[in-house]
Amino acid sequence: MKEFLINIDRRIIFIFVALGIIIPSLAALRLPIHITEDVKAIYDTIEEVGAKNGTILISFDYGPGSLPEVQPMAIAVLRHSFRKNVKVVGMSHWVDAVGLAQEAFEITSKEFGAQYGEDYTYLGYKTGGGSLVINMGNDFHNAFQKDQQGNNTTELPVTKNINGLADFDYVLCLAAGNTPDGIWIPFGQERYKFKFGLGCTAVMAPDQYPYLQSGQMNGMMGGLAGAAEYETLIETSGKATAGMGAQSVVHLIIIAFIILGNVMYFLYGRQKGGGQ
Amino acid sequence: MSRDQIIFVAFLFVFAVINIYLFGSDSLSADWAGFGTFLAAGITLSLYSFLYKDNPLFKFAENLYVGVAAAYTLTQVWYTVLFPDVVEPLSGLDSQSMSNLWLIVPTLLGLFMLTQLSSATFSWLSRIAFAFVVGLGAGLSIPRTIAANLLAQLEPTMQPITPTWEGLNLLIILVGVVTVLVYFFYSVEHTGPVGVASKIGIWFLMISFGASFGYTIMARLSLLIGRVGFLLEDWLVLELPLF
Repeated sequence: MKEFLINIDRRIIFIFVALGIIIPSLAALRLPIHITEDVKAIYDTIEEVGAKNGTILISFDYGPGSLPEVQPMAIAVLRHSFRKNVKVVGMSHWVDAVGLAQEAFEITSKEFGAQYGEDYTYLGYKTGGGSLVINMGNDFHNAFQKDQQGNNTTELPVTKNINGLADFDYVLCLAAGNTPDGIWIPFGQERYKFKFGLGCTAVMAPDQYPYLQSGQMNGMMGGLAGAAEYETLIETSGKATAGMGAQSVVHLIIIAFIILGNVMYFLYGRQKGGGQ
Repeated sequence: MSRDQIIFVAFLFVFAVINIYLFGSDSLSADWAGFGTFLAAGITLSLYSFLYKDNPLFKFAENLYVGVAAAYTLTQVWYTVLFPDVVEPLSGLDSQSMSNLWLIVPTLLGLFMLTQLSSATFSWLSRIAFAFVVGLGAGLSIPRTIAANLLAQLEPTMQPITPTWEGLNLLIILVGVVTVLVYFFYSVEHTGPVGVASKIGIWFLMISFGASFGYTIMARLSLLIGRVGFLLEDWLVLELPLF
């Protein structure tokens, strides 16, 4: 038993993790979700923009590899925006975000009857990174002359009055890479001083907190938990809320294995090392 | 047959039986949507089979992903960047093509980059393009990065410390910044007060590594939860909750 506990086969841990996800998912386990100030700040900003029928820009900068974390954020924010009559302009710095962004717009626009061109548009993917953002800041219509469907941005009702990034009431980046701190903040927010928010993968979240503290971004959704908080705020149970029960159970399993590993190390590992 | 081969064949058999049942019972529709779900489920399970051991199914799914991703990227870049921004304006389709002649310069620079794949006779041309990219990149990035990532970050660190919870947070941040900087200052031996500050810096670093690791576990589990959710709801078409 002692030898077994010291050298647990990693596949046994995998089985525990799998069961920790499958059983709560089958039971649709729901746990209370606490709303943090950082997520509430994004929600409040969308409410403010909605009160004046404003326009927001959403930058879809993620791919299928981070879909379970970031796509629920996109859908929740779009639902909230369309519900509050906020006009939405979408774009992507990531090429593999195109299909995901289109899917998010398709699902939510059908729910609320949002009209393409009037209430929202998707500009598609454009290369350039920082230089694209500078170009958008100086002359939006030059940076994106046409949207994904080939319509002129100078003629679309949702974009015709947007001359630069500062004309957006809010810019929200949904990211799985370096686009917030590598592109949007240095080349966009710092230069054009627009209100900026972030939805990102949990891996990225710790590195983004300094930008919250400095006020360069006003709110942040981090990982599945952030998406679940936003779904709770808009009173819609989506995929993130559904996943939080399993997430909590597996966290407990991992904590149990970490404690077990440390106990075995202190009981036997040190004795063995000391003996040698 | 070895144990691994038996597991491999059993996995394929079970997967086939489940799909025959799903298609037979109309749980999966016999159209492209149903075929897509079947394919996605198969590829998901093939990739996760690596958790048991490296195997041909995993290799197949991995290589398929690389190929599909490359083709998808190429088509997106062609239809959203190269064709509308380069080919269309230069091919005379655009009425303003004469005023777009300057596009020849960046297009040539882009083509020069590809010459590094050719023989030494032409590969020197790529240096011109790289020199332009490096020069432009440095010119754009350095001032913006200093402003956004250094100066803007220094400001909140140097706020007045008041006897409030916010003041305590500022004090912790200030101590963290100073002690971590001391830890990475190697010109002075880490003994005495410098050694104490350095050790406090290590604690701050360890706590930040722990927070990053915790968030990383959360992220990876979220991805797994997403795929399990897909398998249960979209592929097996289970009505949740089951119990």
